[in-house]
Amino acid sequence: MSNIDLIPPLLIVAPILAATLPIALGLRYDRTGWSVATITSTGLFAAALALASVVYTSGEVIHTLGGYPRTYGIQLVADEFSTLIVLLITGVAAGVLAYTRRGGPRGNTFYTAYLLLVGGLLGISLTGDVFNLFVFLEITSIATYALVASGDGPESAVAALKYLILGTVAASMYLLGVAFVFMATGTLNMVELSTAIPAAERPVLIQTGFAFIVVGFAVKVAQWPLHTWQPSAYQQAPDGVTPLIAALVSTASAYAFGRLIVTVFEVDYLAAMPNAAAIVLTIGCVSVLAGTVLAVIQTEVKRMLAYSSVSQFGLVIAAYGVVIAGNSETALTGAVIHLVGHGLLKTGLFLGAALVAASYGARTVDEYAGLATDRPIVAGSMAVLLFSLVGIPPSIGFVGKWYIALGAVESQLWPVAAVIFLSTMLTLAYAARLLEKMYFTPATVVERPHARGPVATDGGDADRDDDSTPDSEVEIDDGRAAAGLRGGAARNPVSVGMIAIVVVVALGAVALGFAGGAIAELLEPFLTEVIN
Amino acid sequence: MVADIRPLAAVLVSAVAIVLIIASHRRPNLREGWSVVAALAKFGIIVSMLPAVIGGTVFEWSLYESTGIQFLEGIDFALRADPLGIFFALLASFLWIFTSFYATGYMRGLDEHAQTRFFASFAASLSTAVGIAFAANLVTIFVFYELLSLVTYPLVAHNEDDEARIAGRKYLTYTFFGGGVFLLAGTAMVYWLTSLVEGGPTLAFEAGGMEALAAAAQAEPVYAQAAFFLLIAGFGVKAALMPLHSWLADAMVAPTPVSGLLHAVAVVKSGAFGVARVILEVYGPGLIRDLPLDVPGIGEIGLNIPVAIVAAFTLTAASIIAMRKDHLKRRLAYSTTAQLSYIVLGLSMLHPYAIVGALFHIPAHAFAKLTLFFCAGAIHVETHTDYISEMAGIGKRMPLTMTAFTIGAAGMAGLPPIAGFVSKFYMLIGAGDVGGSYWLFAAALLLSAVLNIGYLWPVVYTAFFESEDRHDAKPLLEFPRGGVVQSYGDGSDDDHVATDGGERANGTEPTDTTETEDTVVDEEFEYAVDKYPSDHTGPDDVATDDQGDRVSSVNHHGDHDDHLTGGPPAAGWQRHSPFTESTWLMLAPIAVIATGAVVLGIGPDYAVFLELAIQIVEDVFGMPFEELSTVPFDELMTEVTE
Repeated sequence: MSNIDLIPPLLIVAPILAATLPIALGLRYDRTGWSVATITSTGLFAAALALASVVYTSGEVIHTLGGYPRTYGIQLVADEFSTLIVLLITGVAAGVLAYTRRGGPRGNTFYTAYLLLVGGLLGISLTGDVFNLFVFLEITSIATYALVASGDGPESAVAALKYLILGTVAASMYLLGVAFVFMATGTLNMVELSTAIPAAERPVLIQTGFAFIVVGFAVKVAQWPLHTWQPSAYQQAPDGVTPLIAALVSTASAYAFGRLIVTVFEVDYLAAMPNAAAIVLTIGCVSVLAGTVLAVIQTEVKRMLAYSSVSQFGLVIAAYGVVIAGNSETALTGAVIHLVGHGLLKTGLFLGAALVAASYGARTVDEYAGLATDRPIVAGSMAVLLFSLVGIPPSIGFVGKWYIALGAVESQLWPVAAVIFLSTMLTLAYAARLLEKMYFTPATVVERPHARGPVATDGGDADRDDDSTPDSEVEIDDGRAAAGLRGGAARNPVSVGMIAIVVVVALGAVALGFAGGAIAELLEPFLTEVIN
Repeated sequence: MVADIRPLAAVLVSAVAIVLIIASHRRPNLREGWSVVAALAKFGIIVSMLPAVIGGTVFEWSLYESTGIQFLEGIDFALRADPLGIFFALLASFLWIFTSFYATGYMRGLDEHAQTRFFASFAASLSTAVGIAFAANLVTIFVFYELLSLVTYPLVAHNEDDEARIAGRKYLTYTFFGGGVFLLAGTAMVYWLTSLVEGGPTLAFEAGGMEALAAAAQAEPVYAQAAFFLLIAGFGVKAALMPLHSWLADAMVAPTPVSGLLHAVAVVKSGAFGVARVILEVYGPGLIRDLPLDVPGIGEIGLNIPVAIVAAFTLTAASIIAMRKDHLKRRLAYSTTAQLSYIVLGLSMLHPYAIVGALFHIPAHAFAKLTLFFCAGAIHVETHTDYISEMAGIGKRMPLTMTAFTIGAAGMAGLPPIAGFVSKFYMLIGAGDVGGSYWLFAAALLLSAVLNIGYLWPVVYTAFFESEDRHDAKPLLEFPRGGVVQSYGDGSDDDHVATDGGERANGTEPTDTTETEDTVVDEEFEYAVDKYPSDHTGPDDVATDDQGDRVSSVNHHGDHDDHLTGGPPAAGWQRHSPFTESTWLMLAPIAVIATGAVVLGIGPDYAVFLELAIQIVEDVFGMPFEELSTVPFDELMTEVTE
């Protein structure tokens, strides 16, 4: 393994450098952005695979930047945990491009932000330095603000602004937390910190630092009640961008939070810290419940899925709480798997939603009526993904939930276990709503519930009027409106790649449902290292 | 334990059929052909394992051993054809053969929409039901249990109207609450409990109970009890134990083949089957009896007693509710609720005879209830009649169907020549042998038999012994609960009072109004009977129809809560011979299944199910069946524990 330790820095530097290419080349050529992004992210994915093959066979890969020792230098670490996240990020980043080629957004600046975002996310996953983590959090955030703001209309600008304010406050909170910890220990390297923190003379500084970090990440991961930026950001971002943001941005933050808990502060130290476990558990459990309730009452599909993310990340945070409270390896496995699984599922779901919006302009749950007959493949894939999200086996969603729930049971945290088991039902509440619309609601009946007034008096049936002999002006207009909505496919074609990527994600979610044992095995060395 | 691919093949054969069914959606004859081929193949695979299983061999296929993939850490995804598994798989796959013919006749007779989805989901349901049968551990059974809920949902919501959607919602809510919450929680707890002791963690079924769990239960009795009730509640939802039963009656909006095979056999029995797995092979009778549950005021009782009480209550209450249901399928649904509780009650009495009775009741009830549902469906297809009050004199229109119905009804009540008698007999012996408070359960069984006659005999009576223009009022249906309260001294009624109490105004009035409504309705909706001709010249002419856009046409012949569609035509029922009353696609399955119910009742020793049931009990108690009757009950229980 001669040069394998060069891969981590390359993974970060390559996309950031490549981000300049679309703009530079854009001076001369149009439409180079997609090609640059595709070449880069495919390369990144290949590199991530190469890295993974080394990490999972012969242990972690560490690159020390500039050769400075870790007490004051910066390390990039690819271990069993971070490599999994790197695989997810590069995979999703490459996959979403299959959508954006036809589905948009287009333009070279978009792909610049896209690559910048990927670089930032990979940085978050690979860095071994808490201050460096802040830098990458900011790179990610700024790229995300730009991407959200690139949506149409003033709402996108407002959503981006909201995100910018909250996101920056959160990052500052995190930075304050790091400052407190630095005051107490004098180092910023994660491995150094893990030995320095228990030895710190003034634990109150550490506690304060942890408190700031928790609040900062609660915003970044969009935990209730600090989630308010997230639904608008997901909803108002361009359709092609939402899958990327939803799958990766909060996931990377949640990963970073998990990393800080298990590697920096360490489970034993946090377990001894008063109320730490209880606070993390409460944030997670409350978010699971609140997120679902909010998801159920949404009418917009993207917004509903956004609130669903609040509750699903709640599960991950609750799992971290179980790790702290119960010293549970199982719960940590569950958290990792659910992070990756949720990222994958949300990619697919948001891609599906984008596809439907692109072809029909359908954005609300009601407008999804009859989708199964019009777009059987997309509807089927979305159904698989939704059921996976609910946790129906065999699927990645079930595997994550199983380990988290088992961890809670093993730690005898019964209220938490109850919330996790009930989350199945809660998720079902909004998933079934969408499914029922897609499969068991005929399209025409629901779309124009009021316009039927004049004809409904004779008790005649709606379908016949619409299809054969419209007997009034209203009917004709109605028919055209419906045709416009339904027949949009001709004007706004959906490419094979767009459908294929949704199907691939759905199949992947099911296939990974059988990998529960394998992933746990891959994580095993990491788990035994961080959990005593 | 012999490694063999056949358990997996039995599960997958209908999964493969799903693909073929969807692929041939433009050619209905080919599509239905795949259903039949898959049903025969599945049955063939299962039968091929039968002799060896009776001989004591257990076939197992494990994902880990065949591919090296571990499903979850420490948990294998394994399928195992043991006696209990093959018992259920054999039943479901055998009945599927006839149901696929019947479903073809039914769906074409009504010219239903989305038939491809229907047949695909049907095949998927059978795949998962056999998966439940062969599952070798709690996680595997959970996987198939959840998938079964999932694939039957499209069947329940098939009609795509509000009623069907609401029923579908309720169905998903109940079944996922049972599976995703209770069953998963119970499974996780068992995994955790067994991880505390040597030999664990394990979730694999063992005849007579998991040893690791028995050891863990000594250390953590409270959690072991909680896990037991979680598992029972999880399976109890599908077994329609009260108070978790109400999805079943609502699910009757589904097409009748679904109500018949799935909501009388495969789905609901998978719940009862799960209860059997939990009682016999997870906890084991000995452990269940020995885990003391401290009830204030009564003292310590076995874990089985609360389950038995719930089951006894359910079977009595559901029978009473059934009496007041006018919709035939709903009445049958409550009857199913009651009959499933027989199975749960028999299992929870823990006595070997009661267990044999309970297990044998699985096929006994399946054959009889499937007959009843097939008859209800045939009546619906031919006459669009769903309500019992409109069935007066229907016996001359559908003689064979109503004869089969009579056989099924007798089976429900447990009358001797029919299979239901054998199972009830064993259960009564079991209850009597234990004695003591178990006599109460015996009493519940006997009372329920009477109630069974009370709600099914009126159907037979009205079909054969009444005619459309001359029939009695249905006091249980039409009068307020508790009867009519009326004083003879009431002044307003003076004119009508006859000294012999006959011909009272309020007795005939409801009948009159119904009849007038019927006449009016029949004029308007006469096409509801005639539009789809009663007698099919052959399936082919229907097959050419485009079945895509039939949503509007199902609106008036679905299983709705209206009296608009059914009842005799204006000129009264036409008289038909048994061979012309319906299509052979429906009559043949009815005849075969009804015959099956009689065969099981006359010669249970020769039909394979009783033999398997006895073998299961022998495995659980670890001694030959003949010796079981000589050992006292308490001693038997302690021997299981050791």
